[in-house]
Amino acid sequence: MSGTVSGGRHALRDPRPEVEPVAIGDPGRAARAVIPQPDRRFPFRPAIVLDGVRIEGSSDAGGLEVRAASRRGLSHQYYGTTRQDEFGFLVTQDRRWLVVSVADGVSAGEYSHRAAEIVTREGCTRIAGLLTGVAPAALDWNAVLGEVSAVVVGQVRAELDLPGADLRQVADRAAATALFAVVAVDPDDGGGRTVHVMSLGDTSAWLLHSERETRWTPLQAVKNAGAAVASSATAAVPLIPRELPPPVAARLDQDGVLVLMTDGVGDALGGGTGEVGDHLARAWQRPPDPLNFAAQVGFARRSYDDDRTVVAVWPTPAPS
Amino acid sequence: MGEEKAKLLPFYLVIDVSWSMDGPSIDAANDIVPSLLEALEQNPILSDKVRFGLVDFSDDARVQLPLCDLLEPNLFVPTLSTRGGTSYGVAFRLLRKQVELDVMQLKADNYSVHRPVVFFLSDGAPTDEEHDWRSAFAELTQYDRQSKVGFPMYPNVIPFGVDNADPVILQSLIHPATGNKQMRMFLMDKGNTPAEAIKAMAEILISSVLSSGMSMANGGPGVVLPDPGQLPAGVSSFTADDEDFL
Repeated sequence: MSGTVSGGRHALRDPRPEVEPVAIGDPGRAARAVIPQPDRRFPFRPAIVLDGVRIEGSSDAGGLEVRAASRRGLSHQYYGTTRQDEFGFLVTQDRRWLVVSVADGVSAGEYSHRAAEIVTREGCTRIAGLLTGVAPAALDWNAVLGEVSAVVVGQVRAELDLPGADLRQVADRAAATALFAVVAVDPDDGGGRTVHVMSLGDTSAWLLHSERETRWTPLQAVKNAGAAVASSATAAVPLIPRELPPPVAARLDQDGVLVLMTDGVGDALGGGTGEVGDHLARAWQRPPDPLNFAAQVGFARRSYDDDRTVVAVWPTPAPS
Repeated sequence: MGEEKAKLLPFYLVIDVSWSMDGPSIDAANDIVPSLLEALEQNPILSDKVRFGLVDFSDDARVQLPLCDLLEPNLFVPTLSTRGGTSYGVAFRLLRKQVELDVMQLKADNYSVHRPVVFFLSDGAPTDEEHDWRSAFAELTQYDRQSKVGFPMYPNVIPFGVDNADPVILQSLIHPATGNKQMRMFLMDKGNTPAEAIKAMAEILISSVLSSGMSMANGGPGVVLPDPGQLPAGVSSFTADDEDFL
């Protein structure tokens, strides 16, 4: 081993485009009127986090391009409360799998952002650990969610100094939805990749095909479809149901995008057939600059003031 | 399903305009909407989603302000005046029709609609037949989730009683009366004037719209009523099983 530090790959790229605020339909009053207030309880928790990386494949057949953004919603900005959404992703040690997670802290809990952090970080780490021994289709999701819940309970008890708190008492303070996806870094012989998704609560996973007639394909039931009035009930870690929803396997083609999102985006997207679906499908035909991606995730639309988080995964190279 | 334009929180204020409300009471009632409007102007998060409707009733019931965005630029807020008896039945029937119409229209226009909230303000006992207003109230509020029989858009009902309102009757109008989304009623304390009590109730209504809106905006369960210990002077709150006021 020489003494030089090995660098990453590099390529010539366009200068970064300027970021412009995005509005879809009526932006509403809040988008222009709200002055963001800090949350004095959690001064070091940023309102916006974003990331953009390329996961190199093992051959020229390609890899994956990832964009991720999590933004504090207008409502939390207005009331001076922290962002409760979180994302996380990592590549397994053998570089075969990308593990992605999105979590939405349950609003009622003052420390739900901690639950969301734990779900995404501990969840991805544990899944990556399990993938050294089993294929994604054989993942023990009960074990993953059970262990993640145990960490939430342990951390909340320790951090809030509530050693005797039972599961319900912990969940009242810190709870989060949990969405995980496992994607193969390399395409299979057919040129596509199998995606495995587990979703607890109303965070949602989608396949996006900008060029097809049906652009947005949900990988789970759409929230509130067919309900007379809207409901906001949702399942969340650490109170996991005895019977988990079944994991979903889907195929990510070379011209598709895997998109994971919290309901801050998902509620506005609905079934994906309206102007939000159109707008985002156009914006995400190709991986945008990460700053623009964050701006797109933060689109202004009347009454949609919840935290917003999206992780999108493009197979690369994109079809020419 | 497609996508939704916005998530809306509908509130209705239903005001008794029988003769006995004449004078300072109706003046105080007429101040409620302008005060709410002022509060919403200060809160862009809520003004983006609160829809408000005003209904008055006497021997007949009238929609005085159809469910609307109170901050619409050309909105005209009507002034209520008194006009006759106190028929609860006509108020409940109109509400049943209006809530259904409004929610269906909003849903047809691709809005997501939260369960409506009705603030029901009265200063006297109903002058119509009990079986009549009771059955009208049941049609407004009853819904069976299993059989899907009844009115799925049933509102939460929060009665406000002043002056000669019958506490026992108003108590029976609290909806839901039980369960984890139990509502409460607010009554004028003995010795207070109706106009002062209505002003206090306006405060309660505004605080409830603001905190319910904040709760729902944050994915909370819905209607938030002020803590019984935090009420303005001259009014008290009761649940459907309280007996303190008897």
